[in-house]
Amino acid sequence: MTTSAPVTIRANAISKVYGDFVAVRDLSFEVRKGTVAAFLGPNGAGKSTTMKMLTGYLAPSSGSVELLGKDPGDAEARLELARRLGYLPENGPLYLDMTPRELLEFFGAIRKLDAAVLAKALERVVEQCAIGDVLDKPIGKLSKGYRQRVGMAQALLSDPEVLILDEPTSGLDPLQIREVRGLIRELGQEKTILLSTHILQEVEAVADTVVMIHEGRLVFNGTVAELGAEGSLESRFYALAGAAPAASSTPTPTQAET
Amino acid sequence: MGIDFTIIRAIARRELGSYLGNPAGYVFLTLFIAATGAGAFLQAGFFARNLADLALLNKVMPAILMLFVPAVTMNVWAEERRRGTDELLLTMPVRDIEVVLGKYFGALGVFTVGLGFGLAHVAVLSRLGDPDIGLMLSTYLGYWLVGVAFVGVGLLASMFSANATVAFILGALGCAGLVFAGTAPWADGIVGCALVAGLAALIWVTVQGSADGAGYAAVGGGLIALITWLTGTYASFEATFAKLSVDHHFYGFGEGIVRLGDVVYFVGIAVVALYLCTFMLGRRHW
Repeated sequence: MTTSAPVTIRANAISKVYGDFVAVRDLSFEVRKGTVAAFLGPNGAGKSTTMKMLTGYLAPSSGSVELLGKDPGDAEARLELARRLGYLPENGPLYLDMTPRELLEFFGAIRKLDAAVLAKALERVVEQCAIGDVLDKPIGKLSKGYRQRVGMAQALLSDPEVLILDEPTSGLDPLQIREVRGLIRELGQEKTILLSTHILQEVEAVADTVVMIHEGRLVFNGTVAELGAEGSLESRFYALAGAAPAASSTPTPTQAET
Repeated sequence: MGIDFTIIRAIARRELGSYLGNPAGYVFLTLFIAATGAGAFLQAGFFARNLADLALLNKVMPAILMLFVPAVTMNVWAEERRRGTDELLLTMPVRDIEVVLGKYFGALGVFTVGLGFGLAHVAVLSRLGDPDIGLMLSTYLGYWLVGVAFVGVGLLASMFSANATVAFILGALGCAGLVFAGTAPWADGIVGCALVAGLAALIWVTVQGSADGAGYAAVGGGLIALITWLTGTYASFEATFAKLSVDHHFYGFGEGIVRLGDVVYFVGIAVVALYLCTFMLGRRHW
């Protein structure tokens, strides 16, 4: 990753308000092309809401989003962006009555992949996500780990330029976590990836940059090395999460750069 | 860019496969055949009339469909929302209208399969007598068109809740409004008040850009309609809403008469319901 690489994901002062509750507050950050960015924050910090806004599923209450230079809030632009985006929503929702093969064929049809392309894509994602053993078993009967991997396969099906993954290692055992992190590192060589997590080891293992939010506000934006510069990642995480309002009102040097 | 029918077909096939791949789907279909069979042949007077027709079933069919169709549609959106798969589907390169139409045709496909099994009643009539094929065709077209309208209403009801039972009750209430309109002046009045209340809420949501306060708008609209009705301010209040009666528009099909106005009525209800479904889906962007 270089700072001269084009910006793939940009949030410009986005907020999301539900009635009196502010889920995301005036959040700005960028993710450059070819970067694996960790979207860090405690549970309930607003990570999933932000990701929903980045994918165009939700519109921000204020501010704007740019994905690959386009506004996902625009109906026609969203269609084009959706073709270039792979998204794994929180908790990996899937149609439990389908088998992984049926599910991938269904999403392939929706993405309008022709038969030959879909067959190759299926082969690729089955290998990448190691779901060959369960390809024809109902998803409802699979373990949480396998379901998460099927969700990853769905996100990778169209070989997208951008991946937005909401807690991709949730529910996986340590061996599976290691495999998925390896896959993310491999994919990160050529794709832009934003993955949410609250696991610090994951940040260290896969990410180039970190965007940390707490109570909907940006509290850190910089590299992994910068996050750990003043002690361990863990102590910094607690400090940022515990003193969020003060931290957000005094941007870190790395925030100022973006 | 227009609507992509490949996507609609893929979604409809998934819906149909999901329903027909589920044992509960067959239980519902069996119950439907049993209920319509009872409505056709087990009523007093069927054999005494000595006519090979479905006149007795025609009287109860809208009421049967008012319960059967919402049972088919109750899970269409509710399940998606409960499982969170709506987020997955709606972040695909699909338009909201394509998703709505795909779901609609999937549910209509399930209903059509059910009605297809219901053709067994014609076989029974053929065994007992000599039914008029033209009359049978128009009658079944009428049943199907009632389904066309009710599937739309049921689909809309399914959007209001992630709970399938609530979606079923809302769907059955919506269809019941259309079934009971025209049966008695008081029923016309109640249906009118409910529709005005719903319309008031919809206008409120559209103008405000948020659902906050929509309940008050509905109550306000309903109260104004109630006062208008009970005080006789608008003398044709009951007569106006009586025209929404399913029976009124279905009657001709049972007599072998296919009127364009009746077809437009059923298709029109479906179009309005699907428009509202698309509107509701689009609300996530507000």
